[in-house]
Amino acid sequence: MAGWLLLVGIPTAAYLGFALLALGQGRQWRRTSSVPAPDRIRISVLRLLGSAGLALSLTLSLLRDGPGFGGLLWATVVSLAALAVAFTLTWRPALLRPLAVMATVGIRLRCDRMETDGQGTAKVPPSNPTCL
Amino acid sequence: MAWLHTWAGVVLGALLFAIFWMGTLTVFDREIDRWMMPDTRLALPSARVSLDRIAETVREIVPDDARRWQLRLPAPREPVARLSFQTAEGDFLTRHLDPATAALLPDQGTLAGTGFIFPFHYSLHLRWRSLGYWLVGLAGMAMLTLLVSGVVIHRKIFVDFFTFRWERKLPRSSLDLHNLTGVLALPFHFVITLSGLIIFFAIYFPSVVDSVYGDDHAAFNHDVYGSFRREPADAPGPLASVDAMAAEAARQWGGEPPYFVRVWHPGDANATVEMRRTVARSVDLNVDTVHFDAATGAVLRTHTASPVVHVQRFISGLHFIQFEHWPLRWIYFVLGLSGCVMIATGFIYWLETRRKRHAAQGLPGVRIVEGLTVGAVTGIIIATLAFFAANRLLPSGAALAGYDRAALEVWAFYLVWIAAFAHAWARTGRAWREQCWAIAGLALLAVVLNAATTGDHLLQALAHRHLWPIAGIDLLLLAGAVVAILTALHLARRGIATGPPQDALKAAE
Repeated sequence: MAGWLLLVGIPTAAYLGFALLALGQGRQWRRTSSVPAPDRIRISVLRLLGSAGLALSLTLSLLRDGPGFGGLLWATVVSLAALAVAFTLTWRPALLRPLAVMATVGIRLRCDRMETDGQGTAKVPPSNPTCL
Repeated sequence: MAWLHTWAGVVLGALLFAIFWMGTLTVFDREIDRWMMPDTRLALPSARVSLDRIAETVREIVPDDARRWQLRLPAPREPVARLSFQTAEGDFLTRHLDPATAALLPDQGTLAGTGFIFPFHYSLHLRWRSLGYWLVGLAGMAMLTLLVSGVVIHRKIFVDFFTFRWERKLPRSSLDLHNLTGVLALPFHFVITLSGLIIFFAIYFPSVVDSVYGDDHAAFNHDVYGSFRREPADAPGPLASVDAMAAEAARQWGGEPPYFVRVWHPGDANATVEMRRTVARSVDLNVDTVHFDAATGAVLRTHTASPVVHVQRFISGLHFIQFEHWPLRWIYFVLGLSGCVMIATGFIYWLETRRKRHAAQGLPGVRIVEGLTVGAVTGIIIATLAFFAANRLLPSGAALAGYDRAALEVWAFYLVWIAAFAHAWARTGRAWREQCWAIAGLALLAVVLNAATTGDHLLQALAHRHLWPIAGIDLLLLAGAVVAILTALHLARRGIATGPPQDALKAAE
């Protein structure tokens, strides 16, 4: 059972990792989301999280199959995961929108704060270009 | 660098596609064997058949003067014992034994996956002066060059990392797919090609062996692979319990069983028994071997790999995937297909960027290369499917003009392949679409023929665990048919000019 769970987890973590790395690229972000592309700090965060996904995938792989099979499994799974992300971006980019939304939660929160700034209910037009 | 990439690809791409295609199929060679050899679709019994019992059967089959016989023991992917022996005349024969009773199964009359597709992958079946090995080696070196030069000439490798602009015109979308499969699966393509070359280091770099051992290749095999030879005594001798020898070998290997048993000079007083440790449980293709005296069962030699050999065997193991690991097996299959896509899209990009200019200038390049591409890509797929269909159509014991059934299947493959090339050159413009329809038709025909001639139709195969390999092949055939139909419809709908446009042709005339 644990073996099967890990077997699902290895490609899933690799897929999410590459998806986050892809969202860190302006062109791919625009394919998935109408929210303007994240700033440099958030790109770094996306890349960090993406790399963490790949690292998690490797860890699970080594955990399941040891260094020999585990290393080989990870090295081949990442290729398939990256291809899967590329095809998702081509044919079903909307599938990655939730991931893009999650990655922009921080941006939204900041914009909300600015909108209710000052006199409570009065709406302040967002001066921050990411608040559209 | 771009020039090198372009021309190495165009000149050797057809050969590379054949090698990649056959290598990809070889991932499922034992499953193809089961599909093509219906009498071997057996369940692996829970109790292992006695090797002594098998040895009795072997004595009845193998002629007294045979030089040696060898046995691959039943395993999950190959539930039958595969017996091969070399007659005194030097011919190799292969037969299969029932894993439960050790009884001889009827001759299946086919080379199937392990006998045709696998050797095609590394030797192209060109035995003359080892020409096939050298062509494959040349293609392998070219592949490494293509992979490296491809990375060098890729203008925006990181920006385009995940980019596939499917909706754009064919030159753009085919280049995107070429880059995508080339870059994202680069580790696999590079390692699989390099390891393929390293496996045959003794053929491609014989000086490595010669510089240490001179002409004494037996000494090399003795040191590296643990071989052991003893001259026959030319006097009859008994065969002690092979089961006891297997038990002793397993004891030395920490309980792991042998997968392979070979008897040298059977029936002779100086006969020896060679046992090799299972390769199912680790990536590396170990060379652990124990040699026994056949008459007494005494251990003559125990061998394990030296550190350097161990590295070579790990790299070989990466390539051979003789281990039992289903997820990896499927991943290798898909990545192998991605290599086929990479080669095919490279060709398509070359064609689509030159089509108009060649048509305008009256150059024959596109026409020639397009025929080559269609014959190499869809042609070899059609030929493979014809090989499968011939296997189900030829009656057992069929023979024609001195060729036996197995040879006739191989003839079907080559003749259909040649016909596909002829069709590709004769029908430029329509060849892609028509060959896609041929793929779909033959794949469906193979599935129907399997059901009709063996009764193991898809539902039946899915319902029985030991028939899953058959279900797997049938499902892949059906999936291939669906992809071929969708491709053919897509080509028809988009009206892709897979040939010089008619007006351009007229202008050229």
